[in-house]
Amino acid sequence: MRELELFFGPQHLGMVGNFSITLKVEGDRIIQATANPGYLHRGFEKLMEYRTWIQNFPLVCRINVVEPDHMEMVYSMAVEKLAGIEVPERAHHIRSIYLELARVGSHLFGLWAYANMLGFDTVAQWAMYHRDLILDLFEELTGGRVYHIYIWPGGVRRDFPRGFEDRMVSTLHSIGKCVPDYDATFFNNRLFYERAKDIGKITQAEAIKMGGVGQVIRATGLKSDIRKIEPYAAYQKVDFEVPIREDGDAYSRVWVIRDEMIESVHMIFKLLDNLPKGEVYNRIPNPFKWTIPPGDAYVRVESSRGELGLYLVSDGGDKPYRVHFRTPSYTHGLVILEKLLKNASIADVGNIMISLYVVAPEIDR
Amino acid sequence: MDNSIKRKLKAIFRGIEISTEKNGRLVISVPMDSTGDVLKSLKDQGYIHLALISCVDWIDKEKLELVYILSSYSENDHIILKTNIPRKKLDFRTVIDIFENAEPYEREIHELFGIDFKGHPRQIPLFLERDYEIPPFRKDFDTRKYVKEYFDEIPFVKEDK
Repeated sequence: MRELELFFGPQHLGMVGNFSITLKVEGDRIIQATANPGYLHRGFEKLMEYRTWIQNFPLVCRINVVEPDHMEMVYSMAVEKLAGIEVPERAHHIRSIYLELARVGSHLFGLWAYANMLGFDTVAQWAMYHRDLILDLFEELTGGRVYHIYIWPGGVRRDFPRGFEDRMVSTLHSIGKCVPDYDATFFNNRLFYERAKDIGKITQAEAIKMGGVGQVIRATGLKSDIRKIEPYAAYQKVDFEVPIREDGDAYSRVWVIRDEMIESVHMIFKLLDNLPKGEVYNRIPNPFKWTIPPGDAYVRVESSRGELGLYLVSDGGDKPYRVHFRTPSYTHGLVILEKLLKNASIADVGNIMISLYVVAPEIDR
Repeated sequence: MDNSIKRKLKAIFRGIEISTEKNGRLVISVPMDSTGDVLKSLKDQGYIHLALISCVDWIDKEKLELVYILSSYSENDHIILKTNIPRKKLDFRTVIDIFENAEPYEREIHELFGIDFKGHPRQIPLFLERDYEIPPFRKDFDTRKYVKEYFDEIPFVKEDK
């Protein structure tokens, strides 16, 4: 049969985000896949070398559109580590609550993309609607819907507004009430099973070899979560499960995402019950004249897609000397995706890509 | 954990410097030639996850610093391994044979810093669309000047009335 080259994206119905894959196909079978990132490359890491430590906050959150909050967190943590700033206990708890809320929002967005791709339009609309309810909460808390710039070196920018906790609980309850609907229409649906089972399958050994993190590694049965391994914020104070699945295919990955959302909501309730009183931020020096002693640091958090790291270098000046983000989509989208697409069929490209939860702006940075 | 690794590495490799941070994290500086062997030895000791390869341009010291960050999937620690490459001769070896996911990282560093990784299967552009005289993430590349030269020249569109 003749070999053909097929351009999948960036302008393609099955493609979410600015990303493209060049497929070499023979009939319906993919012989070779080449991922082409770069459509969104804005050189953030270089731009950050021209801006002061505080001016960089509006930049870092724009690296990941879906989930800017973990970006703020990882940058704040690195700055705090280099400058030696302490964070008050209440701020730790608020950060954890805020990050879990972001995780639910991001997973709902991922669910929207995945359900939409499989043709479950109703479920996709529900997920988008429920994400919007969470964005409403963010708007009330921070003033912004998508980009929040809420976490700050030394704590968070402001305390919860009056009555916010109750509204958050009632919103989460109203979303939680729909879980049986989601299960009946999507997760326990035979169509989803048939469409996702054994698609994009990866073994644990392979996933480890290729540097998989997050759902990709947890769907192969390995309980690896930065929140447990190296607890930050208030995660060591709260008891939670790390959901895993065994099979390593698209089906398992989406189920891990579902279980994580539920676990996150439970975690928010537990954190709210034990929310300590006190200050929410420690004063930092004048941001216009703030210099940070020379040194380097690598910090990591568990974003909704896996290990998100930041290697930050200071030369003692008022601006970072070098910034390098380690984003989970980088290895998932450039190494594992290419590997899994080999011998897959064209119809499964979107399925595999979205189940790996690849977010293009994160790769390009 | 760190003491046994420290002793082992010191015994095998020459010219290796190991410092321990306050929280027990290891920072290892190795000479260029033994980087691959040290990485292999660390991988055998359980640091199976290559989290990141980064590069820092220390222009005053005339060198580029490659930074490898290794961790395991279960332990609360990671190792930062550093090696220096002279700015005059930017050749280095690839580590894809040790860590498969090094491929895009090295490709990116090749594009943004100009280090040539010997043995890398495809050192083709990853992000950029133009050719640059100086790789753009080096410190001597002036972003503002570049933007002024390339984009300020585009004339404004005049509306016809």
